Amino acid sequence: MRAIEAVGLRQRYGTRTVLGPLDLVLEEGERLAVLGENGSGKTTLLRLLATAARPAGGELRLLGLDASTERTELRGRIGYLGDVAGHYPALTALENLEFFCDLQGVERPRARATLELVGLAAAAHRPAAELSRGMAQRLGLARATLHAPQLLVLDEPDAGLDEEGREVLAAVVAGRTLVLATHDRELASRLCQKSLDLSRRGLEVYR
Amino acid sequence: MAPRADLLRLAAVADALLLLLATGLVVFYAPADAVQGVVQKIFYLHVPAAIAAYMAFAVVLVGGLVYLWNESPAADRLARAAAEVGLVLTTVTLVMGSIWAKPIWGTYWVPWDARLVSTLVLWLIYAGYLLMRRIATPGRQAARFGAVVGIVGFIDVPIVHFSVTWWRTIHPPIETAAPGALPPAMLLTFAISSLAVLLLAAVLIGYRYRLEALRERLAAALDR
Amino acid sequence: MRAYLRVAGAVARKDLRTELRSREMLPALGQFVVLALLIANFGFDVGTGGSRIAPGVLWLTITFAGLLAFGRTFAAERDQASLEALLLTPASRAAIFAGKALAAAAVLAACEVVLVPALGVFFGTPVLSLPLAAALVMVTIGMAGLGCLFAAIAAQTRARDLLLPVLSLPLWVPFVVVGGRAVQVALGGGGELNGALALLLDFDILFVVVASLAAKFVLDD
Repeated sequence: MRAIEAVGLRQRYGTRTVLGPLDLVLEEGERLAVLGENGSGKTTLLRLLATAARPAGGELRLLGLDASTERTELRGRIGYLGDVAGHYPALTALENLEFFCDLQGVERPRARATLELVGLAAAAHRPAAELSRGMAQRLGLARATLHAPQLLVLDEPDAGLDEEGREVLAAVVAGRTLVLATHDRELASRLCQKSLDLSRRGLEVYR
Repeated sequence: MAPRADLLRLAAVADALLLLLATGLVVFYAPADAVQGVVQKIFYLHVPAAIAAYMAFAVVLVGGLVYLWNESPAADRLARAAAEVGLVLTTVTLVMGSIWAKPIWGTYWVPWDARLVSTLVLWLIYAGYLLMRRIATPGRQAARFGAVVGIVGFIDVPIVHFSVTWWRTIHPPIETAAPGALPPAMLLTFAISSLAVLLLAAVLIGYRYRLEALRERLAAALDR
Repeated sequence: MRAYLRVAGAVARKDLRTELRSREMLPALGQFVVLALLIANFGFDVGTGGSRIAPGVLWLTITFAGLLAFGRTFAAERDQASLEALLLTPASRAAIFAGKALAAAAVLAACEVVLVPALGVFFGTPVLSLPLAAALVMVTIGMAGLGCLFAAIAAQTRARDLLLPVLSLPLWVPFVVVGGRAVQVALGGGGELNGALALLLDFDILFVVVASLAAKFVLDD
């Protein structure tokens, strides 16, 4: 089964085309880095892949399902971390995750286990408002992987991450199907097998 | 698919003639009311405008339901066009009603009359609808929100009417004009003017729809 | 059904917990209520029969406090950018909506707990009155259903603070009319109470069902 199958995918805001038309195929288990300058459409593409937006044109199938009609089903199978993490500031890190356990329909103990996985166990009872940028980003990673998604979509997850955080990121994405937007080509080649440069419109395979 | 321009123009010309005829009938043919005198003639515009307004808002309702069903942009365009025309007709209804009420009831506004209150609320709901359409992101979002407001709003109107009627039963009843049997001349005038106003509403909705369809086609063409 | 309750419960608990910790809305609403009564106290001639205008003052205060409470519940999600994460889960939209409406209704109810005694102080109305409480509970439920529906719409548009009152207030008219009557009776006016309460219950059921059905279309994209 293919994780992503896009044909002629396009997006526009108002009358301005901001993405595509784009053809893209990602097999299950593959990891793709999306590169490109600011404004080249990275976030737009990732939002489409996370079913956070609907395409203006073209076809998009994710995990064998139609991205515009089978969204509910897809949302239980895709993990997404957007350009803004969007945690609840008054809730603790653990409570934030437990809340999403309830929404995703997974057992609550998963929250603590995932928190440990991203190295936030010590901060479990700190309000999200008091987390540093890097810690908030780790919490975002935890939220995106809480429900063991089959496709992980991460929008510049390395923003604000320290060295240890990058190790965590590498550990989290290992063995998963991944789409990752980043400006860091070194990180991209380390974590992914393929890259897509939206500024140049070329699909490259790392060797 | 926009309604054809020549058909719309034909309907517009026909309606202009019909409106002239209706005006002639109202002024020269229909007898003055025995009790209310000439003022009663306001009803030949007031009542048809109210009927047409309700029908326009029913179109908003149906357009909204169809849009939620199949996301057809045409249904949304129709709903939006009908909401604008309906709001204008409601305004006409309210203004004409107030002008009539001053000499007959001695006041422009009777706060506990169910029909007055529900017509005003109707106006407010669809004014809110149009404001929302202006503020929401055009396209899918505006259409969906429009459908929801159009449907919930339409459900609310009879309930407002009912609540105020219920509430009024514990207040002194207001005086309403006894309808009685209308003489044939009045009936004919009323029928013709109703037809003219309803056709006017349809023509306006058609033009508004066509304008919106053309605008979208232009935007799509510029985008390409 | 179990999934529905789990999601609605989680969302309501999350919102109430946030409110209890941050204490943003309740103190502000409490102050708003007292200020509104103070203004009414001078705006109307209270010297002659304060209890006659008390129901009207109560209604004005509740509707505007409701607009603040309902508007805030979705605006906060949007400001924190958490609305998107919330909606990108498979959880039922109707359940998410129900949870948020429930929490918002609880906040408005808490605000009424301040309002009723304050009204008693300013206008000499009864404070502990079962009919009054019943009427307020029913009105709060229905107003929260409709208000949160429009708050969800408003939060996803520009100029959202403007839009919420414009959409909500006309549609709240049935509650204001019938609830207003119930409150008049409860505060010592003549008349029959049960009819009004039964009618309010009907409105509650109708609008809660309508809002739940509509939630799916409002909480997407």
